[in-house]
Amino acid sequence: MKDKRWYPVMYMFIVTAILSAAVIGFSQYTQEIVQANQERNFEIAVLKVLPDMYDPGLSSIDLHKTFTEQLDKPTEQTAGAYTLRKNGIIEAYALPIEGQGFWAPIKAVIGIKSDTKTITGLVIYEQRETPGLGAEVAKREFTEQFENLVLSINDKPISFRRPGEELQQGQVHAITGATQTSTRLEKIINFNLNQWREKLNN
Amino acid sequence: MAKGQTKQLAYEGLWQNNPIFAQVLGICSTLAVTNLVLNTAVMCIALVFTLSFSAVTVSVLRNFTPRNIRMMVETLIIAFYVIIIDVILKAYWPQMSDNLGPYVGLIITNCIVMGRCEACANSNPPAKALLDGLFNALGYSFILLIIATFREVLGMGTFLSFNVPYFSSGYWDKWTIMVMPPGAFFMLAIVVWIFRSIQISKEGKKK
Repeated sequence: MKDKRWYPVMYMFIVTAILSAAVIGFSQYTQEIVQANQERNFEIAVLKVLPDMYDPGLSSIDLHKTFTEQLDKPTEQTAGAYTLRKNGIIEAYALPIEGQGFWAPIKAVIGIKSDTKTITGLVIYEQRETPGLGAEVAKREFTEQFENLVLSINDKPISFRRPGEELQQGQVHAITGATQTSTRLEKIINFNLNQWREKLNN
Repeated sequence: MAKGQTKQLAYEGLWQNNPIFAQVLGICSTLAVTNLVLNTAVMCIALVFTLSFSAVTVSVLRNFTPRNIRMMVETLIIAFYVIIIDVILKAYWPQMSDNLGPYVGLIITNCIVMGRCEACANSNPPAKALLDGLFNALGYSFILLIIATFREVLGMGTFLSFNVPYFSSGYWDKWTIMVMPPGAFFMLAIVVWIFRSIQISKEGKKK
């Protein structure tokens, strides 16, 4: 039978079918856990961009509690942003943003003060950029530039400058060697911010 | 299986034919993940698992697999185990999954796995293939852990993220280069040099 022409095709087909079935079954089984992990990552990202909301000492259950109890879910009035209120007055917004990176979509959360002009923080919680180059945008060394950054008043609220260049209002340093990721991220942030502010004002 | 054979396989995999310093295979992952001992340990466990099970599976199927498509079948089997590990890490240890990033998936292309499947598992019974795979993976692991220990201690002053006396204090000027890619090349070269020298001097004595 082994020397028949169809044998290798048949054999490959059967082995592939068995192994793929096993992989599919297994990933179905863990899908819920993976999803819960992703949701937790998102919740932590939202807490991190808001002022004084994230406490690294808290367990993930407590973080989830903080997230659900202290923040208000996005509504039409907030144009899709989570809000942090004190005595009913909005203190800050956390806006989830998303867009195409160099390899795969980049998902992030950006925190904005109630004046809609000052950034309180940026956390990139999902990206598949090149490790060591584009992936550096998710690191704290890069994202801490956004803390207390005042947006520029023209139609480009944030602009990326070459590393080492002097910065003006609304400007941050890009990542060396990751031009593609940097320009794409700049576009994602600006597009989402502009759209959100427009919706919010209407 | 004879006891002598197990010993022989252990000697071959761990020392005589060590994947890193004798065969010089799987260098890519050696360079990539050795800046922290914990990451390295997880990577090693993943490789031990993949290599042992792939070798057994290839060996079990060896009499049914047609020669001309055997590489395809081997890649498929290796990929299967690697995806399983990837899913396990994503579900139960997401932080480690993020730390290792694409490197878990890249075990598929780790030359050691394919190399052992071709060299041993393809033509030997499952028990021998398992031991061969296991000892080769352990041979790879212990070298990686040596490199990682030096890189983490010298570069960050920590071991498994715990502070090491002296190295974490102000007296030690941390060698940042050790945790960056060039440090991996330096350490790998030094380790290969030392182990090869020992090996060669031992061979010389035998003669």
